[in-house]
Amino acid sequence: MRKYPQLSYLFILTLVCGGVALAAHQWTLQPQESKLTFVGIQADAEFEGAFERFDADIRFDPQDLAASRFDVKIETASVNSRDSERDDAIKSEDLFAVKQFPTAHYLADKFTAKGGNKFTGLGKLTLRNVTRDVPIEFTFEQKNGSAWLKGSAQLKRLDFGVGQGDYKDTKDVGNDVKVSFVLVLK
Amino acid sequence: MHLKNTLTRYGAVAQLFHWAIVALVITQFVLAQWVEGLSPIRKIGPLATHKSIGITILGLALLRLIWRFFNPVPPLPAGAPRWQDRAAHVSHFLLYALLFITPLLGWCMSSARAFSVSWFGLVTLPDFIAPNRATYETLHTAHEIMAYSLATIAIVHAAAALKHHFLDRDDVLRRMLPAPDRSTHS
Repeated sequence: MRKYPQLSYLFILTLVCGGVALAAHQWTLQPQESKLTFVGIQADAEFEGAFERFDADIRFDPQDLAASRFDVKIETASVNSRDSERDDAIKSEDLFAVKQFPTAHYLADKFTAKGGNKFTGLGKLTLRNVTRDVPIEFTFEQKNGSAWLKGSAQLKRLDFGVGQGDYKDTKDVGNDVKVSFVLVLK
Repeated sequence: MHLKNTLTRYGAVAQLFHWAIVALVITQFVLAQWVEGLSPIRKIGPLATHKSIGITILGLALLRLIWRFFNPVPPLPAGAPRWQDRAAHVSHFLLYALLFITPLLGWCMSSARAFSVSWFGLVTLPDFIAPNRATYETLHTAHEIMAYSLATIAIVHAAAALKHHFLDRDDVLRRMLPAPDRSTHS
């Protein structure tokens, strides 16, 4: 091989191409049209927020769930709950601590078909350096080369330490958070 | 004591409305002052109570007004100067108006900050105003002006009642108290 270095490149290229061909379809996220939102509870009333910057590396094929994978990175400082003071609180040390933990990470690689276009996934969410299993439910639709992943997850903020000090109390800021997503893929 | 008003005094229901609203409005000022300077998380609880009480006042004011329509209103004491009669009518009208306007502004300002109002955790009220910081600031100022106007007129109203009681020695204050008229026991 040393005599013909280009041969080794060819070999690697063959491996890579073969790998891609075997893997589930690799999608490209359309960030402008995609949404990652959540609903929290404050003083017994729901409030809605969104993460404005996140990246999702989605490999998904309903025919090949074994090779499918969601790898989502969320910029915690991009939270927008439509109130700047609340956003500051969410970004603070006691909640997301965005300075120490600028990224939340969700990685799912176990999927189950639930009939029709419905699926469930099991993944690990890392938030504030705490990793926990988080199941998701979603639908997958494709049309003319585009695809839509729509779903949600239910989690408890305190499982991830999102709530230190006064925020450990769940009376005024509820523990349950519902996360929803609409990912537009091409 | 009668439940309904008579031509000389307020009945038990009208008195209950009157004094319950007095107590709740005072509580509102205490809560509003108390939250000043608290950290955002510690504000949530007292502010939630403030909002719940505010909605209660709005409901009581409505019921009270309806009750008033089905009851005779004891007339003002005869022989008072005309300006005092006018002042009494105007201040009563304004007190009623402010009991509606102040909580409605509070409700709207909460919506404008994307903090929906929950009534004691039992019902979440709809938001009629879209979140907007500038709108919130305007509504907050208006809410405060109305609250202080309410307090000012209420103090004048109470001072007038005390003047009737101690200086004029008539039954104007007594008829809003579960106490016998002077005329009946003298």
